Amino acid sequence: MNQNGHHPKQKTIILNGREVAFFEGETVYEVAQRNQQDIPTLCYDDRLEPFGGCRLCVVDVEGMRNPVASCTFQATPGLVVNTHTERIETHRKTLLEMVVSENRELEVDPLRGYASQELTDLVSLYEAQTGRFQGSQSGTTNTEDDNPFIFRDYDLCISCYRCVRVCAEEEGDYAISIMNRGFETQITTEFNGLLKDSACTFCGQCVQTCPTGALGDLKAMRAASIPLPIAKTRTICPYCGVGCSVDVLTKGDQIVGIHPAMDGPANEGALCIKGQFAFDFVQHGDRLKTPLIRGEDGRFHPASWDEALDRAADGFQKVEEQYGRHAVYGVASGRAPHEAAYTMQKFIRAGYGTHNIDNCSRA
Amino acid sequence: MTNPTDLELIDRWRHEPAPLLPILHAFHDRDGYLSEEAIRTVADELRIPAADLFGTVTFYHHFSRSAPGQSAPRVCTGPICRLHGAETMLSDLQDQGATPMPCSGRCDVPIPVLKGHTTLSGLTAESLTPSRSPLPDPNPAGQVECVFAHIREPDRTSLAGYERTGGYEALTKAVKTLTPEAVIDMVDRSGLAGRGGAGFPTGRKWHYVRTAPGDPKTVVCNADEGEPGCFKDRTIMDYDPHGLIEGMVIAGYATGATRGFIYLRYEYPETELVLTQALAAAEAAGFVGDHILGSDFSFNLYIRRGAGAYICGEETSLLNSLEGKHPFPRNRPPYPTTNGFEDLPTVVNNVETLASVAPIVRHGADWYQSLGLGDHAGTKIISLSGDVRRPGNYEVPIGLPLQTLINDWAGGPLSGRTVQAVTMAGLSGGFLAGDDLNITLDDPTIRQKGSYLGAGGIMVFDDSRSMIEVAHDAMEFFAHESCGKCFPCRIGTTRLTERLNGEAKNLTHDQWLIEVEDLGRTMKETSACGLGQAAPLVTESLVRYFGDEVRKYVENSS
Ligand SMILES: Cc1cc2nc3c(=O)[nH]c(=O)nc-3n(C[C@H](O)[C@H](O)[C@H](O)COP(=O)(O)O)c2cc1C
Ligand code: SF4
Ligand code: SF4
Ligand code: SF4
Ligand code: FES
Repeated sequence: MNQNGHHPKQKTIILNGREVAFFEGETVYEVAQRNQQDIPTLCYDDRLEPFGGCRLCVVDVEGMRNPVASCTFQATPGLVVNTHTERIETHRKTLLEMVVSENRELEVDPLRGYASQELTDLVSLYEAQTGRFQGSQSGTTNTEDDNPFIFRDYDLCISCYRCVRVCAEEEGDYAISIMNRGFETQITTEFNGLLKDSACTFCGQCVQTCPTGALGDLKAMRAASIPLPIAKTRTICPYCGVGCSVDVLTKGDQIVGIHPAMDGPANEGALCIKGQFAFDFVQHGDRLKTPLIRGEDGRFHPASWDEALDRAADGFQKVEEQYGRHAVYGVASGRAPHEAAYTMQKFIRAGYGTHNIDNCSRA
Repeated sequence: MTNPTDLELIDRWRHEPAPLLPILHAFHDRDGYLSEEAIRTVADELRIPAADLFGTVTFYHHFSRSAPGQSAPRVCTGPICRLHGAETMLSDLQDQGATPMPCSGRCDVPIPVLKGHTTLSGLTAESLTPSRSPLPDPNPAGQVECVFAHIREPDRTSLAGYERTGGYEALTKAVKTLTPEAVIDMVDRSGLAGRGGAGFPTGRKWHYVRTAPGDPKTVVCNADEGEPGCFKDRTIMDYDPHGLIEGMVIAGYATGATRGFIYLRYEYPETELVLTQALAAAEAAGFVGDHILGSDFSFNLYIRRGAGAYICGEETSLLNSLEGKHPFPRNRPPYPTTNGFEDLPTVVNNVETLASVAPIVRHGADWYQSLGLGDHAGTKIISLSGDVRRPGNYEVPIGLPLQTLINDWAGGPLSGRTVQAVTMAGLSGGFLAGDDLNITLDDPTIRQKGSYLGAGGIMVFDDSRSMIEVAHDAMEFFAHESCGKCFPCRIGTTRLTERLNGEAKNLTHDQWLIEVEDLGRTMKETSACGLGQAAPLVTESLVRYFGDEVRKYVENSS
């Protein structure tokens, strides 16, 4: 170990005056991240191939005339990098002012999506909302896209293509792409049709990576007007056996939306249409609030919990007496909470001594 | 004759390398446009997601998606054609469904109108006639030429015509008597540098490819010539196609590449025919193909046509286009020399660069080196256009004074006029004016003035022209051609165009200057490729040379 704590053979760069080690193949951006040097980005999503579009991540490299995009530039031994020089910070502010000038508005409700505040936050950090560089706006809203899940408000699009790339690289659906070029660029589906007529599976990943709220979660946005703070509760999606981590968004005691957990070990920010959007049943008006027992007349009648449990226990007991303990088979519901599922398997395993327990989401 | 079926069109190409563009062209030519059905069929057959292929088709200016489409007139509205009334021409042809196209590389015979596979030209709609590209005049100063040395020989495009003045001797010499390393060394010592814009030393590029791991290697000839005011590559290919082919095969021999592509811009349909015929003759004579000249060196050559996108001249965008991908430029490093076509080592060279190779191999490095003036090596073809008496292509010794070219070689400005400004590198080098017109044509000198020689397009504007308008049209071109990958260029080219279009956005003179400078600096220093880095040279040089005009313009328009 040398004085900086590196193995002498470890390759290093000089990052903001400090010698830091890097791994083979690491980009300058990744090295900086590991060393707590925050570099702003807009087109970056660490799950995707670096793209090099927004240019906010540019840094000064000694010996190079122009700044380089740190997200695509690999570290090499001895590189001298400065991430926050005056010229770099000026470029970042100018770039942000340019981006602000192309959009209808900046402030969007955080319920639009996981990353929806990225642009707004950077603009505040760099005090870039200055009204400079005024001119025409880019993007054409597609809010008429008739689907219950995804709001397509391309007036707010900044052409970072994270949506297109996440759809291709993470979801593998290639449902959306880039149409036209330059300032006329537009996110599109095949032949610019509706999402529901495209290869889209409504997984929602494009929504959650969009840094401006141009793509919005329509289900969550319904709760935008509720004047309560958003709370997040980390849990596992109950729908299937993959075990995607999610953050359930609540306002008061109402579930208002779902965010995929970017650090979820099984899903790394991915979800499917059910985990992402299908939570309405929890607070649905049709849900049973009291037990019902079928009477002699063949109809259901409200009953007390004691009556209902007695009736169920009675039925189970008869089956066990008549056919033995392995005649009991429990199937828990994917829509039940994990605690209920756990109790259910305990009931079957410990109560009956059988392994005949399953869950509908084991599919 | 019945029309070929969809599958026949696809099967003709699908087993060749880089099949997407030729297949799309086949449908475009058969149907007159690319229908939704055609795009779906191609996507299915080539296993490309439909959304991706649709998006990529919309990237290219010349692919029509509805009738009249392919055969409707496209009128060049480039900087020189505008001086000659291109906008009137466009409105006169409106009833035929005419659309504008950026500079189509015929600034020496304005105004070109492309109809299907035919280029017409004329100054009015009535006078449009099919026109061949002009042959360069004999060198006005009797200078020794390299690329143009034999271009005026009759019958030069045929194999016999080419061989009459030593054609394919260089290839024979290389393959039979020189090692690949010796060829590279020769090209290196000649001082030949890229003639497509960036000026990278050719020998060094070839050396990188030769020593890079990975096979097969590829030679790509960049014949996209999209830079406004550049029309030299067209002339070389139209009159000396074998010169290019021989250079490419030698490049293949030197670098160990076994396949080559000529990526030809859409706007040169006649050139495609010339190249196709020359290639067939060269193949038949054993100069291209397997076991060239009985050796164990094989090299196959394919011609691919672009579809209207200036950015596809940028080498990494070109490679994506060839591969059938969305033609955004790639991030560099890695460079094409190690990760080029299909991620394998690839030489990308300009037409003029490659056409210089056979003469160098024949006459030697010292000969080529000595063609330049002073310390400068070699020659450069300048496409000179605009307000001069004799526009055209001139092969100049590097280091020739600009004034000599304009006044002595090209006859000077029209009578009663003076030269107000010239562009450099087509449009990408911005303007030179005033005392800076007294430069010599070599990169070190021009770079001192904040510009560069680039591909050698020089457009002349005399004192009757509004430089604000010229600058506006230039910036509008860059905005039209910006690929949209990176923020500074996508937004910046549009903002700069808006600041030149007469609206000036209620800015004071000071505000205008600061905004234009700030946009320009960030574009120059942070854009992802040469387009966005070069575009602000237009405004930068406008402000430098024409400060008074800018002030008047801003004050009148706000
Ligand atoms: C926007 C842009 C457009 C370009 N267009 C062309 C072109 O049309 N033809 C060309 O040869 N090079 C063009 N280039 C330069 C190529 O990227 C590349 O440097 C060149 O083809 C290399 O060949 P050379 O070394 O022989 O010049 C362009 C570059 C940029 C940034
Ligand atoms: S919801 Fe999923 S599949 Fe649909 S476009 Fe977005 S990322 Fe692609
Ligand atoms: S919709 Fe959002 S994620 Fe997609 S390109 Fe636009 S800003 Fe980026
Ligand atoms: S500089 Fe312009 S043309 Fe080049 S990558 Fe950026 S947007 Fe595309
Ligand atoms: S994060 Fe590097 S360019 Fe956007």
